[in-house]
Amino acid sequence: MIEATFPLLGTAFVVLIVLPAFALLAKAGLVMLERDEAGGPLHGLNLRYVLLTGSSALPIAWLLSAGLHQAETGKSALACLLDHDTAELCFEPGYFALVLAAAIFASSIGVMRKHRGARASSTDAARALLRRVANIIASDAVLAGLHDRVVVTDDDGFALGTHGLLKPRVFIGTAFAARLSDEMLASALGHEAEHARALDPLRYLILQLALAVNPFGRFLLEPHAARWQAAREAHCDREAVILGAAPLPLADAIVRAARPGAREVVALGARDTAVLKFRIGMLLAFSERAPARCCHQGPSAFPVAFVLLLVALLLPHQTGTAALDVLHTGAEHALTYFWR
Amino acid sequence: MTFRLRPGKKGLALRLHDLEAAIMDVVWSKQLVSFAVSDVLAVLEKQRDIAYTTVMTTVARLYDKGLLGRERDGKRYLYSPKLTREEFLQSTAREVLEEAVGGHQAMAMLAEKVSEASAGELDELEALIQKRRGELDA
Repeated sequence: MIEATFPLLGTAFVVLIVLPAFALLAKAGLVMLERDEAGGPLHGLNLRYVLLTGSSALPIAWLLSAGLHQAETGKSALACLLDHDTAELCFEPGYFALVLAAAIFASSIGVMRKHRGARASSTDAARALLRRVANIIASDAVLAGLHDRVVVTDDDGFALGTHGLLKPRVFIGTAFAARLSDEMLASALGHEAEHARALDPLRYLILQLALAVNPFGRFLLEPHAARWQAAREAHCDREAVILGAAPLPLADAIVRAARPGAREVVALGARDTAVLKFRIGMLLAFSERAPARCCHQGPSAFPVAFVLLLVALLLPHQTGTAALDVLHTGAEHALTYFWR
Repeated sequence: MTFRLRPGKKGLALRLHDLEAAIMDVVWSKQLVSFAVSDVLAVLEKQRDIAYTTVMTTVARLYDKGLLGRERDGKRYLYSPKLTREEFLQSTAREVLEEAVGGHQAMAMLAEKVSEASAGELDELEALIQKRRGELDA
């Protein structure tokens, strides 16, 4: 039996069977959570996020850790002995971990390329906008967290967004800002401040990566991911208003940001105006009655996700790697069966 | 309380018929806590030609749907909203979010661009915001 069998077939088995199976389990959990009428669509966002990302990240972390653990300790000796009549130089689990890591890296490249921020500008218009934004931030204590975290760009195709994984910064397009009053800009910055505070660019990137590495399971999770992201944006609107942003200027800014300019690229189809209408409807309601804090969705997802990831990484070292042996022998036997 | 979503409609009209939506809009924007049919009629008459019986029938239908509560006050009923506009929107939100599709960017944006086909809808949303601003100023 050639030594490439397990690394190649095992990786294919993970991509074709294991990850879609976990996606199916996650979907079942998400359907149940979304059916829970009690809290409304803005509740349970952290748990939904853990299901969306964990269904890919946790099995991959366990498999990589188990592969490396077997290669390091020689615990795959039995499987190698059965298939190759020798336990010597049995580094197949290590190769499996390498091939799996390479497959994950390859499928992540597209997402990483898309996750580029806009270019900072230093023209007169950009400097004037920076001064304007500095005045707005100085006059609003809630926006103090954005001090030195605002970047201005002359890129006509860019309106307003938050970029940066560990130290997020708010990027503002000069053309877009020129279409907003100070009140609209302050409210919009309040929305982005919540994104920055909750490290949303990092969350969004991890979510997109989790979907990208599961090409055969992502179709099960994409609708839930889109709903999660839409609800997350609505949550940031709500938090901004609770912290003092004016709801109607924020609604105005959102509609203006959704309107493509002459050189701007249309990113989404018309169906997503439904989400836009929901957010605007919610802000119109807030203009009548201020919202109460219903469902804090701050950075608490990160500690939970970190602990789960740590458990998945440490588990093979503590409880054994029998599942990887099953995968190993299964891949070898499958090849033998089809070879005959 | 169950409502059917109405394709092609937006805001309150997504789940309510036009006159039902107009009545609830009056109730919420005027912040009517306890009102008679004639109170709603007085506002609606300024906007359109409408009969008392039409408003009465529609208000009764909103009571049947669970959006309004009522208690007898002599020969008439006094109605009150059972939900705020926000609570109603929250209950509609799940259905609206069902329409969300994939393709979101891996970055946090104030709003993603929508296609030119939706320019008219964006105009209507802007008009809605201006209308509410006018109501609040008044």
